[in-house]
Parts: sequence; structure tokens; C-alpha cells
Amino acid sequence: MRSGIDACVHCGFCLQSCPTYLTLEDENDSPRGRVLLMRSALEGTLAIDDPSLETHIDRCLGCRACETACPSGVPYGHLLEATRATMAEHRRLPFVARLILWTFARPASLTIAMALSRLLRATRIPVLLSRLKGRLGFAMAMLASTERSGMHGAYVARGDATRGTVAVLLGCVMEGLLGGANRATERTLVVNGYSLVDAPGQRCCGALHAHAGDLRGARELARANIVAFEGADSQFICVNAAGCGAMMKEYAHLLADEPEFAERAARVSARVRDVSELLVAAGPVAGATPVDATVTYDAPCHLLHAQRIADPPIAVLRAIPGLRLVPLAGAEHCCGAAGIYNLVEPDTSNAVLAPKLENIRATGAELVATGNPGCLMQIGAGLRRASIESRAVHPVELLDASYRSTARGAR
Amino acid sequence: MSGVTPSVATESERHPVDAALAARLAAIVGDRRVLFRPGELLAYSSDGLPGYLKQPSIAVFPGTRDEVIAVVRELARAGAPFVPRGAGTGLSGGALADGVVLLGLNRLSRILSIDAENAIAVVEPGVVNVALSRAVSAHGLHYAPDPSSQAACTIGGNVAENAGGPHCLKYGVTLNHVVALTVALPNGEVVTLGNAAGENDGYDLVGAFVGSEGCFGVALDVTVRLARNPQAVRTLLADFHSIDAGARAVSAIIASGLLPAALEMMDAGTIRAVEASIYAAGYPTDAAAVLLVELDGPIAGLDADVATVVRHCRDAGARDVRVARDEAERTKLWQGRKKAFGAMGRISSHLVVQDAVVPRTKLPQMLARVHDIAERYRVTVCNVFHAGDGNLHPNIGYDANDPDESARVHAAMREIMQACVDAGGTITGEHGVGIDKLPYMGAIFSEESLSAMCALREVFDPDRRANPGKVVPMHSCREWQMAPAARTGQH
Amino acid sequence: MAPASLAELRESIRDAIARRCPLRVVSRGSWLDANRPVHADTRLEVGAYAGIVEYEPGDLTLTARAGTTLHEIARATSANGQWLALDPLGDPSRATLGATIATGSYGPLAHHFGTPRDMTLGVEFVSGTGDVVRGGGRVVKNVAGFDLTRLVTGAWGSLGVLTEATVRLRALPSVEATLLIDIGSATAELERARTALRGLPFVPLAVQLVDAAARQALGVAGGRDAFIVRLGGNEEAVRAQREQLRGIGEAHDVDTEIWRRARVAEPAGAAVVRLSRLPSRFAATWQDAERIAERWPGGQLHGDPGRGVVRVVLPVDGNVLDASLRAALEIPFDGTRIYERLPRALWPALAPTAMHGAIDRGVKAAFDPHYLLNPGIFGELQ
Repeated sequence: MRSGIDACVHCGFCLQSCPTYLTLEDENDSPRGRVLLMRSALEGTLAIDDPSLETHIDRCLGCRACETACPSGVPYGHLLEATRATMAEHRRLPFVARLILWTFARPASLTIAMALSRLLRATRIPVLLSRLKGRLGFAMAMLASTERSGMHGAYVARGDATRGTVAVLLGCVMEGLLGGANRATERTLVVNGYSLVDAPGQRCCGALHAHAGDLRGARELARANIVAFEGADSQFICVNAAGCGAMMKEYAHLLADEPEFAERAARVSARVRDVSELLVAAGPVAGATPVDATVTYDAPCHLLHAQRIADPPIAVLRAIPGLRLVPLAGAEHCCGAAGIYNLVEPDTSNAVLAPKLENIRATGAELVATGNPGCLMQIGAGLRRASIESRAVHPVELLDASYRSTARGAR
Repeated sequence: MSGVTPSVATESERHPVDAALAARLAAIVGDRRVLFRPGELLAYSSDGLPGYLKQPSIAVFPGTRDEVIAVVRELARAGAPFVPRGAGTGLSGGALADGVVLLGLNRLSRILSIDAENAIAVVEPGVVNVALSRAVSAHGLHYAPDPSSQAACTIGGNVAENAGGPHCLKYGVTLNHVVALTVALPNGEVVTLGNAAGENDGYDLVGAFVGSEGCFGVALDVTVRLARNPQAVRTLLADFHSIDAGARAVSAIIASGLLPAALEMMDAGTIRAVEASIYAAGYPTDAAAVLLVELDGPIAGLDADVATVVRHCRDAGARDVRVARDEAERTKLWQGRKKAFGAMGRISSHLVVQDAVVPRTKLPQMLARVHDIAERYRVTVCNVFHAGDGNLHPNIGYDANDPDESARVHAAMREIMQACVDAGGTITGEHGVGIDKLPYMGAIFSEESLSAMCALREVFDPDRRANPGKVVPMHSCREWQMAPAARTGQH
Repeated sequence: MAPASLAELRESIRDAIARRCPLRVVSRGSWLDANRPVHADTRLEVGAYAGIVEYEPGDLTLTARAGTTLHEIARATSANGQWLALDPLGDPSRATLGATIATGSYGPLAHHFGTPRDMTLGVEFVSGTGDVVRGGGRVVKNVAGFDLTRLVTGAWGSLGVLTEATVRLRALPSVEATLLIDIGSATAELERARTALRGLPFVPLAVQLVDAAARQALGVAGGRDAFIVRLGGNEEAVRAQREQLRGIGEAHDVDTEIWRRARVAEPAGAAVVRLSRLPSRFAATWQDAERIAERWPGGQLHGDPGRGVVRVVLPVDGNVLDASLRAALEIPFDGTRIYERLPRALWPALAPTAMHGAIDRGVKAAFDPHYLLNPGIFGELQ
């Protein structure tokens, strides 16, 4: 941690990349300011329970946009996790956060929670309540935004199976609420020449836990996933949720101090790919069914900044006939979802989301493509509440739509 | 002194917070915008200059022009010294507030007007340099001064430091691009300097204010001149076996009378730091030095100039000279250069950076001299600088926890600075004096000249409350207005 | 008093301070006929303090004593293919570097290169406190200390007596050409030409709009207003510039000598005022200037559309009634009016002061606490 902090020469180049600094206009809510807070906490000149530290470290979205602005290579994401872990030893997280982390860490409770959520979604109550002010209304809007009625027509995907084997991380929210996108992921992989392998026993990736400072919980989930994906023995592990992909690529770092798992973690991390990376490596195969729509692309932070994947999702969208891709100003800025941030820091989250929505409105696009469940729900909810005629979708869902006839006919 | 080991002041060393003043300031700007808890002042205890930590007593962040004026007046009533601060990217410690009030202007970030026809814009001081260029790009215009920190630094800070940047070689520094200013003087009076809509008569107070490092007051708005985007741009990368060869190429290009838009040099250490960073630009990592040369202007005649530059580089012994093929490659080459300072953090935990300027014909011998000094003190110097202006930025990375290394680094820096002064140069070309260069002011200015500078400051700020202790050593600010014979130490 | 060394000059000033003797600072005297109201009987002659101190062509900088003439500087620099790109009106063999900087004087080249403010790198002066003060330096980029260089540039010797200055040089263009473009007298025509000039992909070395009277004086007589455009660069660049100019109007070559003539063509003792507004209003400013010139026999105009400035030159002979001149000059004008030269009696009436506020007065008091250096030159009085 020390060397990471020392790499910061406080040049300030990170300031304008930081959504909370841009929104709150206080350097305490900037990467440079937070690194100074971390440094002081590490050196003991600032108590670990100092309210200044808690306020501003809690307020960080963890979007890591500062990392792609930092010439010195300060490993901000790691520093943040370590600091939050230290803080977590001295205090309890807010109830909402603890409830969510508890639920996600347990397969049974997660299954029940997701089933209840789907049930609730089916009642259309979320749609009705989605305009309510405050956290409840936003949560309902998020849930409502995951509905995909009529979007996915299943088809039998066929491919030449020449590109290797892939095990897909199903994820928690993705499988629970956006299962259609998971199926689309599987089908598009097949069309692009991959063969699918099951990875039974897989769990939540642990990203929510790690970001909240619950490293113990995160490591436990990571170990379970390592075992599961070792069992799958596929060439690649495909992740279609940017946050989960970033987490799995960092298992090696997370478990670096565990002799039994360090090397195994590194091997698993090395197999992880975002779905867009796999698709682009294969072409992607162009779709045959035109998708007549205007789309804009918003980069999930954990894809762009954490995984440094900028172009592949755009290449995926460009493979879709008929689709008109328009640029989104500020696409590199966080939307404010940041895992469970939008539930524990709703005010800042909304303030960060506001310019994003305005930029989307300005594009006039009817679709916003982004490859992360948190972003899909945050932007989806925001669009719904701001009455912007636009829907958030996963890029793969659109590619899948353009493959429907390809699969039936050509192959 | 340059490069003091960082340390956080302990509670007892801090000036007692004036709770009453903080409350009055909060009444103006709101509770959220007045910071006085030690933990929240940490973020404001340094600027872009490594090696110093100074904690303000209070930090206040007005959000509007009226709030700034009210805050300055409140500070005047309280007799409180204060330090204006923009984005805190300066490299001379100019925005450090040592136990006094820090006045943050970053929230005043509105572009008030753009007059494309006359190529001028009026901006608030907290507007980020690159944001202005972005805002006017649709009109085919840009704001020419482009300090390497342009993605973060503010126009107000640029005005305070008279900031430069690579393209100042051709287009001039901040001074040449500021037309008029509205300023809150330290006593709270609001004055307009310069004439935005015509010629200026009387004293050049805009000229005096630009580069006054926050000692003359607070800019409320700045009218800047915008530059037209050139019809064509050619960016060249030349690489050399030796620093000397690169320096000779620079001298030859300048002496030829060509005026490149920019002429930058980086040595091997800098190249490696950049290439290891996220801003890797494709510089050859086995080169002893690279030159980044940009020529711009009308297409006609431009390639003849490019050919001249290529010839001078080859004559000086360049291994290879290539021209960026497209805008993407050009951007990449520049990003590497602009983020080079930040990338130094990769090399070592602490860093000293200088900003001396030497006559351009002296570049080869001066770089050799820097090399000798570094060798003698066993320190590693990374050079990354505006070669076309003769503006050196030797960076020395070191470990501040090693007292022997620290001592050697600082001794080497002093000697480099003295060598630049002896060559007819100056101690700072664009970073400003701040507190970092204060000890060197006596090396280039006589006591009489320093006193004259103090006298000018006191016209704007008789109580010396604005950015106290910066730019001119306090001992020079003696009784100036007495007849010379009556002054002590006068010959 | 005509001191020959810096030490002597300083002593002269200290002596004047001791005796509280106001001084009229005079170099080669080319500005004396501006008739600025200086309340001093004693002249401090500094024109003899001359000579180039340092000139290293490879640095493109030159340091010279204040009394060095622009002609001398041009001779030294042109031998190396360089120039000080500053062409203030007036005889270059009488115009000194010191006076040019002190008065902030510039000429048509300001269109491309700016004014003394933009090319003076450092100065040395003796202040009204008797101190030898240096500001800036000899290198092309310098932010050390407060900017005393800008402060004394254009201060008309009211803060200190300039003794030395370092200036930035440029390479002489390898090819030059000057073209004259006739334009109609209609405002719309002028505006069209101005916009077209502004849209050129290059910035000419100089662009001057001249009226018929000014054309006459320059030896390029013609009935209509005309733009005179000075081009420079390498061969290919100038060739392209010519082509591009043709789009604006019928352009024909005139001798580049015209720029030298322009510096000496002005009638001695003329009253001169500069009108300025934003460049976008140049046509209106030109019209206003025409209204002044129309009221005065022999009035001439020339202006720089890029800078938005029009210079009105009204010949004055001994028999002129100040009142009628004043009436001509005082037309309603909502821009900035800066007087350059006037009959002595008109200064207090037309330009009572260029000291606009407490800071101006404070600066004067700080550098010349006893009001001894050119007192009244800005109209200010104790």
C-alpha cells in the first residue's frame, strides 16, 4: 500500500476525471485528496475513524477513472479496497449495505431475493412506484428497467466450435433479473464459434464485498469460484458484467497472500474475458437481421477504467446491421451506480447521474448500450424517472437480436 | 528551502482556527463550503509541487463572483491573510497556505461568454484550461497557452503563474493572451484592469497582474484572446544517440529562424517513465533523447519547413525522424509529453523539479553541465523540457527518507540552478517562484530590484495579506520609499 | 543633464531627488512634438546612453542600451537575417529602443507580431527613488518576480528612466511582398473585405486600410480606400498567400519600401488620435474616423482591421485654432480614444488623465514618490 501511495506526486491530473470531484467540487472528494487521506491514515496522523476519512472514502464511487488518468500508475482501486477493509474493522457498514452483502454471499438467500424481485417485477408495481421520490422509487425504477418483454426471441444458435471452450459467469443480478442477456451472451458466443461449458458451483464474484471493504467475504466467494471454474476447465471464462469481470481478473491480487490459492487464482484470472473481447476476437460475425434503431454507448467504469477495454463493445455494436451508433459526450464518466453506491449514497449518486442523463437526452438515441448490470439499472431507472424516451440494454442483447435469422438460415 | 521532507504539522503547531471567522465565512458560502477540520484540510495541504505540506487554517470555497467578493471583504475586515488556489496543480508551492485561509476558486468554472468573431472569451477563474479550448473548438478556435497540466489546471491559476506550455514557443505565454481582468483587490475593492474592447492606455496593469502569483488580488473574470486553429499541423519525432546531439539540433533549428509551434525534448529516463505509463506514446526506449517538434500554419510552405527541421535533426545526428501520420498518433505523442511529469512518480517516491531557462545557444553545454553535476552527486536526473524556449525541467527522483541521498539531491539542484543563472538564464520560466524558488531570487535580482517588486505588490496589497511570504523574500520588503541614502546597506 | 554612464545617470536622478527637481526625460526627442504636458524645466538627456550590449544571433535575443536607435538594431540584426519586428512610426534613426518601449509605440507589424509589450523580455531602469532596477531577464521565457517589464512598458518614463532592454528577435522572412487591394468606399464593401481577410488561413505581417489622403502621402494615390497587405514567409508560402489574397479583390504589387515611407510620411506636428473598438466593429470605427478626417483639411486615416484600431492624422500648422481642432476631434464616439499627439493646450481638455484609478496613482507614487519623472505626462498632477 505504501508504494502505491508514494507513486502519487499529487500532480492533480486525476481531478477532472473524478465524478465526485466534478459533482461536489471539493478535493476531499477527489482521488488526490483521498490518497492524502489514506496516506495520513496509514501514517497514523489521521485516526481510522476520523469522520473526514469516513465521509470522503465512503463517497468514492470506486469507478477508477482516475487510474486511466494517472501518469504515475497509482493503483487507486487497490488502495481504496485496502482502506475500506481497514475501516471496516473499526465500524459497521450501514444496514442496507450489510443486508445486500449478506444476501449476495449466500446462494439460497440470493435465489430467494431474485425470485421475489422477479415476482414483484411481474406485478407491474415497480412501474407504478418508479416515480416515487427517494430511494424506494429509484429502486423500483431500477427493477422496472430490467424488464425485457418481447425483446428476446429465442433461436437455436449454431457455430463451428473452432474458437475454444468458454464457461460463462452467470452472475447474481445478471442471472436473477437480466437472464435474457445471459442467454443472449451464450447464443452469441456459440454463433461466434465458441463452445460452452458449464461451471457448476459458481457464486457471486465478490465485487460488491471487496468494494465495500469486506475482503474476507470477497475472498471466500473468490475461492469458491476458483474451484468452480477450475472444474469447468474451459479455455476462457466469459463475463458479461463489467464489475464482475474486473473482480475476477483481480482474484490474483485478492488472494496473493494465500499460499494455497495465489497461483490458482492467477491462472483463473488469466482465463477471464469480457464477452466483448471474445466476440471481437472472433469477428464478431455480422448479424443478418437489421436492428433499426439509434444507439449510443456508455462505457462501464469497470470495463473502461478497471479492465481498460474501450473499443470491443463498440466493435460489437458496429457488427449489427441497421444500427446507428451516435457518440455520447462524457461516456467515460461514471453513471453513479457503482455497485450498491446508489443505495447507500443516493444524493451523490443522483448528482453524478444527472449529467449522464442530459448527455443521453442530447444524443436522441432510443437505446443506450452498456455492459454492466449496475449501469443498466442505474441508467435505466434514471431514464425512466426523467421521462427520457430511451432504454438501457446490454450490447450483446442487440447483437443477439441481429442473429435471430442468421442462426435459422445461413448456418 | 527546496524539497523539505514532507511532514504533517502536529496539532500544537497549527494556528488556532478562528472559529468566528469560519462562521462568518460559512454565512456567505454555506457550511459545506468552509472546511476547518484538520482531516478535511489535508487535501489542501499541498499543490502539484512534491515535497511540501502546509496546512491552511480554514479553506473556503465561494461558488459565485458575489460570494468571492463577500469572502474577500470579510477576510479584509478580519485582517486575515489568504492564499488563492485554483486546481492546485502549480509546481512552485504558490498555492500552499501555511496556517492561513485558503480561498479556493475552483467552483467558479463558468465560461461567461464566447465572442468567436473577435476571438475572445470571458471566463471565470476556475475554468479548466482544456475546457475552454474544448468549448471554443466548434468555432475553429483554441486557447493557446497549454501547460502540461492543462487537463486539470485553471485559467485563474494560469493567470497567477503566467503559465506557459509547449506551444508558447510560437504563440506566447498567458500574458500575451489576457486582454482584461476584473479583480477583487485584497481590500475587497473590485477593479477592472485592461480594456477588453479596444486599446489600453495608462499603465499596463494587466501585465503587472498576470504572473503576480496571487499576491495582487483575486481574478473574478478573465478576458482571454483565443487563437485560430492552424490550417495544418505536422508533428515530428526525432531520436538521438546522445543528449548533446539533440541539444545541437534544437540550437540549429532555433538559429535557422524557423519558429516551430513547439520544440520539446525528453531524455532516456523520461522516455522510459512515459513508456511504462498508461500514456505510452511509442517513443523509442533505447534513445538517449527524443525531440518532439511541431510545425503548424497554412499548408502552403509548411512541408518546406518540415524538410528544414528534418535536415537540422539529421545533421545533428538523429537516428530517425518520423512525422505523425494522423491525429491519433499526434495526440499520442503529445499525451506522452504532457504526462511526463506525472509519470515520474513511477521512478521514485520523491521528486524535485526545476524550471530554469537558459539562452538557446547554451543548451548543449548546459545539458552537459547538468549531466556532470548529476554524476558528481550520484543522482539521476530526468530531463523533460521546452527546448525551443531553453526552458529546462530537470527532475530528480529520490527517497526522502534517505538523508544522504536527499542532501546530495538538493546540493545538485542548487548547483544546476547556479549554472543556469551563470549562463545568463533565469530561475523559473513558467512555474513561478512560489516558495520553492524563493531562495534563488537573490541570485538573479539585486536588493534594489526586489524592493521595487515589493513596492509594486504593496500598491495592490498594502497589508501583504494576499499569498503572504511568496515570490519576493520578506527581508527585501524594507522601506522602499525612503530616499536611497537613508536606507540601510545602500551604497 | 546628459549622463554617459549608468552610474552618472543614477547620480543625476538621485541628485534631482535630493533637490526635488522635476525632470523631463528625453532620448532623441522624437516624441517632444507630441506636446505632452510635462511639468519640468530640467531635461534629462539619455539618448547618448546607447549601444548594443549583447547580441547572440542563435538566441534570437538582443540586449541594448536605451539610447540605441532602431536603425542601429536593424543594421546589426539584418546582417544575420533577423529583425526586431517593431516598426513604430517615425524616423528609425531617431527612434530609440528606450523611447519605443517607454511609449509602447508600434507600427503596422503589430498586426502579426504585437506591440513592445509582447517582445520586451527584460528591462533595466532607474526609478524615481534612484534605484537601479531590473525586471525580467535576457531569456525568452521568464516568470521570476513581479513583472516590472510590463509595468514600465508604455509608462512614458513616469516610473523610471529606461537604461537597457532585452528584446526578442525574429528571422526575417525569406520572401516578402506587398499588395494593394482597392476596395469601394461603401461600408458593406469594407466589411466584406475585412471578413475575407480575417478568413485567410494565414496572418499577414501587416494589414493597413488607408484612405485616399493616406494613399497620396504614401505615393500610391487612388480615389478609393485600399488595403495594403504585407506578406512574408518562404517562397511557397508567399506564392500561396498571393493567390489567396486575389479572392478578396483586385490586388497589385507595390514596392515593399512603402512600409519605410509610411514611417516618415506623416506631417510633422500633426494631431493624432487612435480610435479603437472590437475588430468586428472596425467598419463602424473607420466611419467614425472618417467623420473626423472630413472635418479637417488634409486629414488622413489608416487602420489595422485585425486590431480594430484606426489612426487619424490631422495636419496642424501654427495658425490653427485649437477650438476648431478640438471640435473635429470630439465627435461622439463610444469606443476608446487615445491621443498620441496634440497641440499643448488641448491635452488637458481632451486627455485630462490616463491615470484611471487608485492603482495607477499608487504605482506612480511607489516608483516616483516625489513626482519627479515626466510629471504630468499622463495628465496626472499632484
